[in-house]
Amino acid sequence: MNLLHFFMENRGQILELSLEHLWLVGISTLIAVLIGIPLGILSARWPVWNRPVLGTANIIQTIPSLALFGFLLPVPWIGERADRLAILALTLYALLPVIRNTYTGIRSVDPAVIEAGRGMGLTGRQLLLQVELPLALSVILSGVRVAVVISVGLATIAAAIGAGGLGEFIFRGLAMVNNQLILAGAIPAAVLALSADFGLGWLEKRMRPR
Amino acid sequence: MERTLASAPVIEFRDVAYVLPNGKPLLLELNLEVQRGETLVLLGRSGSGKTTTLKLINRLLAPSGGEVRVNGSSTVEANVIRLRRSIGYVIQDVGLFPHFTVERNIGLVPRIEGWEAPRIHNRVEELLQLVGLEAKIGERYPHQLSGGQRQRVGVARALAADPAILLMDEPFGALDALTRDELQREFLSLKQRLSKTVVFVTHDLREALRLGSRIALMEAGRLVTVLPPEGFVRSDDRLVAAYVRAFADGCELVAQRGSL
Amino acid sequence: MIRKHQPRRRIPDVRLLSCILCIIFPLILSSCAPSHANRVVIGSKNFTESLMLGEIIAQEIEARTHLKVERRFYLAGSYICQQAILAGRIDLYPEYTGTALTAILKQPIGSEKSDIYQRVKQEYETRLDLTLGPPFGFNNTFAMEIRGHDARRLNLKTLSQASAYAPQWRAGFGYEFMERPDGYKGLAAAYNLHFAAPPRIMDLGLLAPALKDRQIDIAAGNATDGLIAAFDLFALEDDRHYFPPYEAMAVVRQQTLQLHPEVAAALAALGGKISDQEMQKLNYALDGLHRDPKDVAHEFLLSKGLLP
Repeated sequence: MNLLHFFMENRGQILELSLEHLWLVGISTLIAVLIGIPLGILSARWPVWNRPVLGTANIIQTIPSLALFGFLLPVPWIGERADRLAILALTLYALLPVIRNTYTGIRSVDPAVIEAGRGMGLTGRQLLLQVELPLALSVILSGVRVAVVISVGLATIAAAIGAGGLGEFIFRGLAMVNNQLILAGAIPAAVLALSADFGLGWLEKRMRPR
Repeated sequence: MERTLASAPVIEFRDVAYVLPNGKPLLLELNLEVQRGETLVLLGRSGSGKTTTLKLINRLLAPSGGEVRVNGSSTVEANVIRLRRSIGYVIQDVGLFPHFTVERNIGLVPRIEGWEAPRIHNRVEELLQLVGLEAKIGERYPHQLSGGQRQRVGVARALAADPAILLMDEPFGALDALTRDELQREFLSLKQRLSKTVVFVTHDLREALRLGSRIALMEAGRLVTVLPPEGFVRSDDRLVAAYVRAFADGCELVAQRGSL
Repeated sequence: MIRKHQPRRRIPDVRLLSCILCIIFPLILSSCAPSHANRVVIGSKNFTESLMLGEIIAQEIEARTHLKVERRFYLAGSYICQQAILAGRIDLYPEYTGTALTAILKQPIGSEKSDIYQRVKQEYETRLDLTLGPPFGFNNTFAMEIRGHDARRLNLKTLSQASAYAPQWRAGFGYEFMERPDGYKGLAAAYNLHFAAPPRIMDLGLLAPALKDRQIDIAAGNATDGLIAAFDLFALEDDRHYFPPYEAMAVVRQQTLQLHPEVAAALAALGGKISDQEMQKLNYALDGLHRDPKDVAHEFLLSKGLLP
């Protein structure tokens, strides 16, 4: 059975695992954005937070992913369900790009713009919401893009601990020494990563300030 | 020459000092009064403390010692936001918001003050005309404008909520000589039409003599002297004379002031 | 800042639109996922016997019901299967009573070994929303295997007898056996086993060949290993009854049985139908003769008259 035929035969399972994969990536990226952007704003506003926040995110990134999954297994509630564990781990890994790019994006707003805004009597919140964030949006999106692409790759490893997703095909294929099964996992995962990269990159360009 | 009104000064510096966190003093023992309706020029070289002085007025900086009073109340006691919204602020780099159209830039303060849209729109049109720009510039973005156009928009933006006080920090410094001359002339004509109190920072004596009703010379964080333009060019003070010598054709300018 | 001369639409609109899309789109997609309304997903672990049982169950359900059966075989172990069934990604998979008790429920074996099936069933039903099908009829307990040649030469029949020779032997075990509470540690204590060197750890599939080729002298295999006969290996008797019983049965979601009661009937039909020897033969057909699991399963069900 050639590869295309295999894909057609198993398209139900491929679709289902792709959706599981998307779910893992989507939820974790969303949480990372909800936590990471405020943290990025915090460290941009008050530089004293810069070192601890970015430093912690950096340390988390250096932990090998499979090891992180292993660390979290004995944790109550989180470790009981593999998808919770995977979502937590993926969120942690997505934090660094989001925080760092939010920080950079805000810091790279033209200081003259900030000074004019403050001098005009914009409150801190108005300055943030109407000036700094819109101008930093493109850079922040770039961070989200990196986070998503990393997550798609990491989520394939999540299958090793039973969280499902396209990695399951890969591990099963490895155990059965079945190339078609491996590709049934690897190809959709690559397509997901590429589409996310392309789509978010396009959005990023639209948002870029002149 | 503007008449100074015999009433309380609009802006007062009482024994003001400003010291950086690392201990370096930028301003020492500053005592200065700005009268209603006058154009006070803060003149001095880089590092003389003129920009620091300006920023103390709209509380972008707070004095380390002494008191700065605007319209009778101390800047550190007043509501900062209300204070800043009642003062127009124009800086050299303009600082237009690149993601807003010219119209949204100018209309920003009115908008956050809650003006209705039609009123804002009318005001923007009025201001564009005032600063010598076509109405359809309102739809353009800052990156589509020339340097001179951008600074005109900056001035329009500062005037949007009709503040009584205008602070200008070397606003024409980044422009070419021709545009600068044009804008200085327009500033003077604007001054006649609107009665604002202006504090204007520059390092250029010619500009100071042309635009100011009084010139305050600053050096190394201290106020050296405050004189009207004619008094300035005739002063015996060593530093003032040095300045005048450096801008030798300033004297002719004073003579020509009457024709402007 | 880079200045470009391009007209730009207002940011807020694009931002709002994309935010909405990013949130709604995955939700829409999730709801489009194929439902379990008329299909059953069967999982299996990644070794021969589990695969064989999975295929047999699958074909029985296909023959007896109108349900569509999806196979998700070769999942990487007990934990993975457990997570998958809890999350509803699979509806049933073949498990062993001993494994369920110690590795999943994390409870000690206890002294009374006869009611393990009941204990597991009760815990599963009350705590986990799962239940057990009837046992298939064989006991795949751990079997310590040695070469048939050595067994005959040294006249060994039980583990107690063999323990005397342990210091001269090299042992080989799989990962799970080394780590599990009912694995090596307990065994060494129960039989006073002392090997000269630490046991070699390797993949389950490599143990039998390694034993045959004299790379190891004793291995922890399974009582129903297909290669026992083929490689002339001998399974020592567990005379001190250290190993708990590992009766095989299907673990199934209660929700699945409620939705499809005919699955229960299919599982009931398979109850008690596979003996130790029969399982060994089925395993051998795959491991030794390399036949297609689908053919072997079909043949077996036919021979037992289980295909209506």
